[in-house]
Amino acid sequence: MSLLDISDLTLDLPNGTRLLDGISLGVEAGETVGLVGESGSGKSLTARTVLGLTPDGSALGGRVLVDGRDLVAAGRRDVLDVRRHAAAMIFQDPRAGINPMRTIGDHMTETLRLCEGKSESEARARAIELLTAVRLPRPEDHLKQYPHEFSGGMLQRVMIAGALTSSPKLLVCDEPTTALDVTTQAEIIRVLVEQRASRGMGMLFITHDLNLAASICDRVVVMNKGRVEETGDARRVFSAPQADYTKRLVAATPTVTGSAGPVIEIRDASAPATSPVDAPGGDAAGPVPEPVAAPTPLERPDEASAITVAAAPADDEPILAVAGVSKTYHLRGKPPVHAVASTDLRLARGRALAVVGESGSGKSTLARMIVGLEEPDTGEIRVAGRDRTIVPKSRQERIAHARSVQMVFQDPYLSLDPRITAGRAIEDALRLHTELSTTGARARVVELLEQVGLGAQHAQARPRTLSGGQRQRVAIARALAIEPDVLVMDEATSALDVSVQAQVLDLVARIREERGLTLLFISHDLAVVRRVCEETVVMRYGEIVERGSTVELLAAPQHPYTQLLIDSVPKPEWAPEPRRAEASA
Amino acid sequence: MALDSSTKAVAAQRAAAAGPHRGGHAAATVRRVAGKLGSLALTLFLASLLVFFSRFLVPGDPVSFLLRGRKPSPEAIAQVTAQYGLDLPPWQQYLNWLFGALQGDWGRSLQYRQDVSTVIGERLPVTLMLVVMAGILIAIVGLSAGIVASLNKGRVLDRATLIGLTVLSAIPSFVGSIVLIAVFAVQLGWFPTFGSGEGFADTVYHLVLPSIALAIVFVVLVGKVTRSSMVEQLGREHVEVATSRGLKRGTVIRRHVFRNSLGPILTVSGILVAGLIVASTIVEAAFGIAGIGSLLVASVDRLDFPVVQAIVMLVVTTFVVVNAIIDIAEPLIDPRSAAGASAR
Repeated sequence: MSLLDISDLTLDLPNGTRLLDGISLGVEAGETVGLVGESGSGKSLTARTVLGLTPDGSALGGRVLVDGRDLVAAGRRDVLDVRRHAAAMIFQDPRAGINPMRTIGDHMTETLRLCEGKSESEARARAIELLTAVRLPRPEDHLKQYPHEFSGGMLQRVMIAGALTSSPKLLVCDEPTTALDVTTQAEIIRVLVEQRASRGMGMLFITHDLNLAASICDRVVVMNKGRVEETGDARRVFSAPQADYTKRLVAATPTVTGSAGPVIEIRDASAPATSPVDAPGGDAAGPVPEPVAAPTPLERPDEASAITVAAAPADDEPILAVAGVSKTYHLRGKPPVHAVASTDLRLARGRALAVVGESGSGKSTLARMIVGLEEPDTGEIRVAGRDRTIVPKSRQERIAHARSVQMVFQDPYLSLDPRITAGRAIEDALRLHTELSTTGARARVVELLEQVGLGAQHAQARPRTLSGGQRQRVAIARALAIEPDVLVMDEATSALDVSVQAQVLDLVARIREERGLTLLFISHDLAVVRRVCEETVVMRYGEIVERGSTVELLAAPQHPYTQLLIDSVPKPEWAPEPRRAEASA
Repeated sequence: MALDSSTKAVAAQRAAAAGPHRGGHAAATVRRVAGKLGSLALTLFLASLLVFFSRFLVPGDPVSFLLRGRKPSPEAIAQVTAQYGLDLPPWQQYLNWLFGALQGDWGRSLQYRQDVSTVIGERLPVTLMLVVMAGILIAIVGLSAGIVASLNKGRVLDRATLIGLTVLSAIPSFVGSIVLIAVFAVQLGWFPTFGSGEGFADTVYHLVLPSIALAIVFVVLVGKVTRSSMVEQLGREHVEVATSRGLKRGTVIRRHVFRNSLGPILTVSGILVAGLIVASTIVEAAFGIAGIGSLLVASVDRLDFPVVQAIVMLVVTTFVVVNAIIDIAEPLIDPRSAAGASAR
């Protein structure tokens, strides 16, 4: 008998919306099954039915057998029993998932004391044993601490240990590493795999990251819009996908290895993905100038490798010059934090530079100083020859400042005013910075929207009616409206689904090609950087540890930290896309 | 915000590397409490200036009130003025008043010809009793209404509770008092209509209706804050995590939802304290209770400024002290507030 056997599961909301439609999947003891899909695919909801965590008032159909008990028909006692003995769940964000007002010790011992009736000291001993198992250093010292005193990676270990307190037979992991840095992710995955193996648990692993799923799962289930698109052996699904959706998903996923030719490949891959995700206006992206004739710099590796040298004679003054910039934050009662320490950067016109680092590396602070949202303590930032470290005093100065550098922020759900239509947001930028008349500005807005693959009909749309990808396109159009010298993108694709991310990256590549845009691309994701930028700098603790052409840096990292970053990116043991690897060879 | 998170991440990494350091913790706590006490003293000092000197802005002369009904000779006026220290320059009067007040001597009441402390001391217990009884009612009824509504969010019980609270909030306390008297005291005859009774049990009995009248508006406030705070916490992921671990619903609500929603409830309760004392003036007048509230009204009426000043300072002090205690106790409820991290 399977540990988990879901068959023909349906879930309807009281208003009649069907969120899950005929889901069937199974997990055997000792097996890891990946549940992959994009946001809204229903993968989290499916996982939650395993623990009886369905939305209020929703109607379930079909069967969810966990260790022989059917949760669809189960009474309250049975649900509690499954939660206490059969299955446990690890959630995405440990900072949200552990009660911030209770100690780590309380979190660890709570169920032992209240559900299993263990004594205080028994529960404590068990907690320490489990925390040691997930490799939390000095567990005794941590029991009295509160979650806010922990880093995300440490908290996720606590969350895992907490889920193991009940010695579950099935472990459900809902994006357990999405909120973590890539090096931390690698450590957490190691812990999970270790525990699964030593306990012989079955694991249902939910993720949007195909590379991660490929690297740890035996079998995968691909979900889309509440349905199962494809089920099968992980290697088979990712190397020879059968369903169209899986094919698109695999193609849209960036990798750190394999072929390096980014732009053209993305376009081929994402073109079919555009139509189902976007509204009809998305089709405007269709008539793209055929790029094959105009090779990007990256396709000529010899030139790419000589970027820093070659760029200098072409342009005496780099468009962006950062020299000796530092920023230190003084927090009350804490040691000062050196967010950025004497950093130098030079970026020639028309180039794309990636700043890569984990959280706390100072990459966002650097970007914010370049944009002018933060003032550096020391050093000089020059954009197109003008000093940007001086705080603008007059309105003119401020506008000139804003004109030369524009920024696209991480979350398009937050960076667009919900009450202002997309067209108006762009028009406002044009009105502020140009002399265009109302009709002139309106015409330009439509032009810009078309450039980013939207249409005139989107000008009247408010952000909430647009999808994530469409919103980020609007944000890009707004930033490009006034033709800045430098465009800064701060994690601009990390909040987006892979297929949408591919569209946005594709768009950026096209605009760069057509308009010679100079780009500073802040990201934690090496695979994404590889698709977009010729040059890369790697930051850690506020310092640049390595810089160079992206291709070389990824192929032959010099600094151990860069090596660690690359090694931490999940990779399946087998080559995921043999055809690609062949092409690059 | 992105910046915020990244710097916090750095701080967290360093803190984790440094390990736990309890010594620094204690020192920080002492510094924080000392800071709160300092600002408490400053607030009280500024309030005393305001309370004392506002008398000079009020029209009317206390001396003529003291000598009412008589044809005062200039000598008599001068004598009374000197007796009450009214001939001194204002700052001198302030200092005398302040140092007296610090030793418990608030001067003499013009109306009662007694020490202010005696006058207030006679009336304080009944008002305290009233406020405490109302406070208990507010806590029980307000919290239960909020909890019941939040646990049934969107259902009939929630809507009914919300509508009930809204209706109650529209009833001014003097109207509430009159309705309560008419129904429970006059028609049903269950409770007395007037006065505050003798002895503890009798006082409680006498104060049942007044404390209900006083509590009504505040029950609404506490109820609504409790509901929204609970609803917010119910949607938190850690609540789902606790549920997924097989804890019973009651345990989850008690340990994770209610406990975490206490912060806003306590903050609002602190602000309510001043409102309660002020609102007690109306209720005391309606029920004929000889407490601080009715004393304040009478004293303002008769320009008995030493009594007015003393009562106002008493209310201000109660308010400031209660809120300082809540402030200082906050880390016991939310450990993050001590670390200066924003509450989530």
